[in-house]
Amino acid sequence: MASIALKSFIGLRQTTSENKSIVLSKPTTQTHRNFRINASKSSPRVTGRNLRVAVVGGGPAGGAAAETLAKGGVETFLFERKLDNCKPCGGAIPLCMVGEFDLPLDIIDRRVTKMKMISPSNVAVDIGRTLKPHEYIGMVRREVLDAYLRDRATTAGATVINGLFLKMDLPKSTGSPYVLHYSDYNTKTGGAGEKKTVEVDAVIGADGANSRVAKNINAGEYEYAIAFQERIKISDDKMKYYEDLAEMYVGDDVSPDFYGWVFPKCDHVAVGTGTVTHKGDIKKLQIATRLRARDKIEGGTIIRVEAHPIPEHPRPRRVLDRVALVGDAAGYVTKCSGEGIYFAAKSGRMCAEAIVEGSENGKRMVDESDLRKYLEKWDKTYWPTYKVLDVLQKVFYRSNPAREAFVEMCADEYVQKMTFDSYLYKKVVPGNPLDDLKLAVNTIGSLVRANALRKEMEKLSV
Amino acid sequence: MSMAIFSSTPPTQLPTLSPPHIKKTQLFYKPYFSLRSTKKHQYLVPIFASADEGSGVASVTVEDEKASENPVSAGDNLGSNGSPPLAAEAPEPATAEVVESANKFQDPRWVGGTWDLKQFAKDGKTDWDAVIDAEVKRRKWMEDNPQSSSNEDPIAFDTAIIPWWAWIKRFHLPEAELINGRAAMIGFFMAYLVDSLTGVGLVDQMGNFFCKTLLFVAVVGVLLIRKNEDIETIKKLLEETTFYDKQWQATWQEETSSKSEKN
Repeated sequence: MASIALKSFIGLRQTTSENKSIVLSKPTTQTHRNFRINASKSSPRVTGRNLRVAVVGGGPAGGAAAETLAKGGVETFLFERKLDNCKPCGGAIPLCMVGEFDLPLDIIDRRVTKMKMISPSNVAVDIGRTLKPHEYIGMVRREVLDAYLRDRATTAGATVINGLFLKMDLPKSTGSPYVLHYSDYNTKTGGAGEKKTVEVDAVIGADGANSRVAKNINAGEYEYAIAFQERIKISDDKMKYYEDLAEMYVGDDVSPDFYGWVFPKCDHVAVGTGTVTHKGDIKKLQIATRLRARDKIEGGTIIRVEAHPIPEHPRPRRVLDRVALVGDAAGYVTKCSGEGIYFAAKSGRMCAEAIVEGSENGKRMVDESDLRKYLEKWDKTYWPTYKVLDVLQKVFYRSNPAREAFVEMCADEYVQKMTFDSYLYKKVVPGNPLDDLKLAVNTIGSLVRANALRKEMEKLSV
Repeated sequence: MSMAIFSSTPPTQLPTLSPPHIKKTQLFYKPYFSLRSTKKHQYLVPIFASADEGSGVASVTVEDEKASENPVSAGDNLGSNGSPPLAAEAPEPATAEVVESANKFQDPRWVGGTWDLKQFAKDGKTDWDAVIDAEVKRRKWMEDNPQSSSNEDPIAFDTAIIPWWAWIKRFHLPEAELINGRAAMIGFFMAYLVDSLTGVGLVDQMGNFFCKTLLFVAVVGVLLIRKNEDIETIKKLLEETTFYDKQWQATWQEETSSKSEKN
């Protein structure tokens, strides 16, 4: 399954290079750029100093990028406007992130090993039987994770600047630096911050869904979902139920194109929902989500209400000259599950690695081709994951019958194993072909049955 | 009105989810003859409905602590399970469901979170059509009245227990009859038309490649396009399959077009 998906992706790339008639929503100011492809080996040496790179945004993407850059001998500036920011977020990280980023286990508040999927007609299915004892989904607090990654970057040699990135002057000629304008909060001049500038050779935009770096390079827009969640403190005995269990509610009442959730946090639960197409109804959807979970969160107190955008697809432009976007700024959130933390950190790291390699540990200037190498590697590694999740979303979040079929399918052990394997390790693993065939037949059967029931339901309402 | 409660988001505000709060936003207990008539229920409407904005009924609310009183008063108002009410929206006989307790779908055949197949027996065999009908009603009710999912009464009904031939008999066969009828009519008409225009008889048509292509197109058309809207739907589906790929490719489009400009 994965190889087929990969083939079609590469095939698509080849055809598009020949067939430039495909029109896309390109950024409107398409200036005639002086595009010189220089192999980095022939780039001029940076004399007297190391390569300077600014990482704008100190979340998982920024922290991971800054650490890798600093370790690679690049002079790194990490800009973060609010060092104690409690970012609203689902907070789930896959198992592979703990290993790949050497996260200490005390960062993880909870290990979720069971999930409950609840269909529109409240058919509840437990998944997680197939997990091995050492496998779990980690729930973290963003402020804890972000701070940890930033501290690691500082230890590796990066300079963390507490300031707000304002704008950036693009270089007038190849080889000139980027001039970043920012408001420095460190000096504490009456809260407004002191306006400063810094010159760097390359910029990594890791400043999230409303990225200013993206605006500066005219990266274009993307569709986004609104995720709305309420943090609710519930009684201890009710909390015990959520000790290691997260719930997903699907249905038109909860979200027309996404799902509602109850995720356990450190000492409370987060109840939320999201939508792309019906952003205006988000409060109504939230009420419906709370209704569906009512029995389990009854008597709880809302301690915080938060909302945040989730990009639905990458921006049309992710790299321009010596500026690259990573994480949410680039739009690397998967469909279907809306997962973004791991991909943010990984893309930050991958981009930094490309810069370190292209600059030979900070000795040479980089250019766009080095950054495009990061894009190429990223697209090749994770395209199957993204595409599979996109297909799943298109098929199973379409309508209530599709969601009923989805929950029915989740009861199957093979499905659970495949789902968790691909989620925890971020690899689309083609399973046993016979089982795959059986799965396909069962899926079609479920969908057909659910849609048939739906047609009968419509007859009733006439 | 419940919107106003949640409109502001300063962390210092602490609205509570305690029972009085819940009662405002979640459930209303009301005598069922005052139910809103906008919903078109064909069967007895349960006295509890979820309070979405469409309800607009300001009614008597009952504290959840007084939940124990509900069955008693429910009993007074509703009578026994299965008796049709005064305010039924449409005359639907005895398979009416009456909700007596707080928030559940109730039906004598719905036992322990699934359908009790023994109660659907007819002539010693299970009446699968009745099972399908019952599940349809339940899903319709659930869609109109979203209920809280409860751990004590988990719902565990899987449509796969209904055997495949029951589905075919009920859903596939009528549709198949329709499609085959259309195909036969089109086939006869086209065969006659081609024969009258070209003089090629039916048997000779089948040997001709162009005619076979026409036949294929006709069959595919009949299968895929069942309503007028299907044409648009198919076009949109085709676009959808490659849309996400195009979004990912966007950043590469620039590179290749710039490369060609340079060349």
